[in-house]
Amino acid sequence: MSADHQPRRHVAVGALLTAGFAALLVAGLAGLPREHDPLPPIARYALEVALPRWKLTEPVNEVVYGTRGFDTFGETFLLLAAVLSVIVLTRPREGRRGYFGESAAGQEEQAELDPIETGPAEEQEARRAERGESRGDRPSTPDSTPLGTPGPETAEAMSVVVRGAVRTVLPVLAVAGLYLVTWGYSPGGGFPAGAVVTGVILLVYAAYGRSRIARAVKSETLEGIEMAGAGLILGTELLGLILRGSFSANWLPLAPPQTIRSGGVVQLFSFGELFEVATGLTIVIFSLLSMGHDWSPDPESEGDEE
Amino acid sequence: MILVNHVAAAVVFCLGLYAVLTHRNLIKMVMGLSLMEASTYLFMISLAYRDKSTAPIFLSPPKNPERLAHGNVADPVLQNFCLTAIVIGVAVTAVFLSVVVRIAQHYRTLDADRVRGMRG
Repeated sequence: MSADHQPRRHVAVGALLTAGFAALLVAGLAGLPREHDPLPPIARYALEVALPRWKLTEPVNEVVYGTRGFDTFGETFLLLAAVLSVIVLTRPREGRRGYFGESAAGQEEQAELDPIETGPAEEQEARRAERGESRGDRPSTPDSTPLGTPGPETAEAMSVVVRGAVRTVLPVLAVAGLYLVTWGYSPGGGFPAGAVVTGVILLVYAAYGRSRIARAVKSETLEGIEMAGAGLILGTELLGLILRGSFSANWLPLAPPQTIRSGGVVQLFSFGELFEVATGLTIVIFSLLSMGHDWSPDPESEGDEE
Repeated sequence: MILVNHVAAAVVFCLGLYAVLTHRNLIKMVMGLSLMEASTYLFMISLAYRDKSTAPIFLSPPKNPERLAHGNVADPVLQNFCLTAIVIGVAVTAVFLSVVVRIAQHYRTLDADRVRGMRG
């Protein structure tokens, strides 16, 4: 791997193409509506129907899950497709249910028969780096590190200051995010709330380390919840088609504005989106974090490297 | 002057485009794509802005809803585009990055020119 090597190609062609595209953008920008122009008809329509038709005081929510519900439906499944792609791309070669220990057994045998490991120097270096990353006799938090220990921080969790701050902030953050989506006050409902839930999980991960959230953040559990969210959205939209004759139409009774059920199906869709976004982003992030090396040779692709 | 925002979005987009066209480091290409993506958020939010406009939120149910659209509020439709684009953008960037990590593990390089298996 050549990290310090900065390959560049076709700088002149790239600059020329970029300049050409910039000229196109400038030409396009000249004809755009500015801050003194009236809103386009579609925006005015969205503002006009939000209260009378959907009983929502939050027009962005009404656009996301009501008027433009079908587009959001498509985008949701685009998100799902992206999450599935990441799962497929990051999966280990063998899906397995348990720990069989053949890697450890192989290492013992290797130490007996061939203590000087053969193989490319790059691979040996990468293996050493991986062993260094795996949990050894590291302290769980910096608080338990002896004073005056040289070298960078090696603990898995962060210090008591960070853990205390995270412990204080977490409930507030989680409740605030869920409150906003429950009452339909946050623009976009489930999208930002899902990002907040992901942020809460990442804060716990950063402050306390992987082992503290390993029980909750399991891909089997998260994938189940994500599929349940997708099912909820699909069911909500299909019931509109069955009961009202139009996909993503409202089929629930509308409560007065600024109550939990004020948006009808908008709130249901928003909750489904909350599950989708929260579990989807969490799966994606932890899949990327746990991508391991696969050192076994792949005979089928050997010929490709010519 | 909302035009400044539009120009800034165009500049950020062109920076991303230039990075994608000239860099052969796969991580930098993904960063260029992310820049292009981020410039569209700035562009759409700026396009939604109107002079002295407030967020498109009704504080209380107004007396005559048909007059709503004549007040100074930002465009809710473009804000909605931006909102969904952010989440989709994160997921798509994650797909790019997982492909890049797999390429790096398989070919032991991040240089797109040295990933020779891709040259059909």
